[in-house]
Amino acid sequence: MTGVLQSNPARLSARQLAWSVADRFVLLGVDVAFAAGTLTVLWGDNGAGKSSLLDLLAGLRAPTRGEVLLDGVPVGDVHPADLARRLARLGHKPGAFLDLTAHENVKLLATLCHVSPSDEAVRQCLDRVGLARRDQARVVRGFSRGMMQRTALARLLLTGADVWLLDEPSTGLDAAGSRTLGLLLDEARQRGAAVVVATHDFSWLPKPDHWLQVRGGQLSEAQP
Amino acid sequence: MTMLRLTWLLLAKDVRIAARSREVLGFMLLFAMLCVVVFAFGFLREGQAAQDQVPGVLWVTLLFTGTVGLLRLFAPEEEAGNLDLVARTLSGTAPLFWSKAALQLLFSGIVTAFLLPIVAVFFDASLFGLEWIALALALGLIGQAALGTLAAALLAQVRLREALLPLVLYPLLAPLVLGGVKVTALALTRAPYSAFSGWIELMLAFDAVVVVLSPWLFARVTD
Repeated sequence: MTGVLQSNPARLSARQLAWSVADRFVLLGVDVAFAAGTLTVLWGDNGAGKSSLLDLLAGLRAPTRGEVLLDGVPVGDVHPADLARRLARLGHKPGAFLDLTAHENVKLLATLCHVSPSDEAVRQCLDRVGLARRDQARVVRGFSRGMMQRTALARLLLTGADVWLLDEPSTGLDAAGSRTLGLLLDEARQRGAAVVVATHDFSWLPKPDHWLQVRGGQLSEAQP
Repeated sequence: MTMLRLTWLLLAKDVRIAARSREVLGFMLLFAMLCVVVFAFGFLREGQAAQDQVPGVLWVTLLFTGTVGLLRLFAPEEEAGNLDLVARTLSGTAPLFWSKAALQLLFSGIVTAFLLPIVAVFFDASLFGLEWIALALALGLIGQAALGTLAAALLAQVRLREALLPLVLYPLLAPLVLGGVKVTALALTRAPYSAFSGWIELMLAFDAVVVVLSPWLFARVTD
């Protein structure tokens, strides 16, 4: 068995996960488990397979081999709506509709995850991530990357997902934004969420519970 | 939250985006106008527009214009990178499919309302049998919206989709366009309903099949 098996109970786990592109295995035989209330950092070289692993864990890509389990149930057997609500993924794309305002985006996307928040709850989440009130009412097309990240984070806060899979979440954030992000991840961990972050920048991170290096298609427990 | 409510929510979102960006509908109207002008010049006979070409011009213009809308149908989700999130609702992918099909139908309906008088003016044609032409157009647009939404989703992340969409869609829509042209041509000559009832039935049958099959296949495509 390769890779890392963390402490139980696992909120999200993968068994013998493999993923190949054009006959080349990007990930091979990955066994990993992310327990509730933990923060795990994935690190490794560019192209090592961090983003691919997060996509596989989020059920956005079908693995070549192996399976991903959410609370012991294969993600393929979880209702897609439950998956969307319980498992939040923040990737390289903005995640927000560019011609809607930040407020409209957060409200709509949370509603699609069956949260149905009030306008006040949406405002509070956007306040929390540090998006100014005047920006909350602006169409996000003109937003900077950092403001876009803050909008995406507000959606994550509102949906209250059990698993957070974040790919370079600090990209574009200023120092204050990075500090807020660190606090939010810590809070999510304390609330019982399994938080997994792929990043090259470790300066803003709250103290992680596990460090996992992605290298040669496999995972190993190692600090950078 | 019911499927109907989710569909309405997504449709309202798309209409709001379209109203703010003012891209898709504007392009469709402009393109329709351009097609009619080009066809009008192309079919000039001894300085006069050819009235017998009206059914063909009308339907081919709607086919081309509809493609412009379909190519941008999933653009908001592609730009945002959240198609998976929008497709994963409690009611499955059905709200996404029906909201996109309804949006396409809405835009095509507006274009048709704009196009009919323009074709009549450019081709100096009297629109007899308008109720039957309207029925054929409604059936045609419903079929195009259902099948087109499926094809647009299939090709949403494919390179050269601008070229592939017509290649995939036009042969599949051929029975619908043929029926529409026949009904329009016969209705314009004040033929009785019995003369084109078979074509109407063909279009109805076509729509029944694509309206049932397209959302089912869409669910598998977006999986």
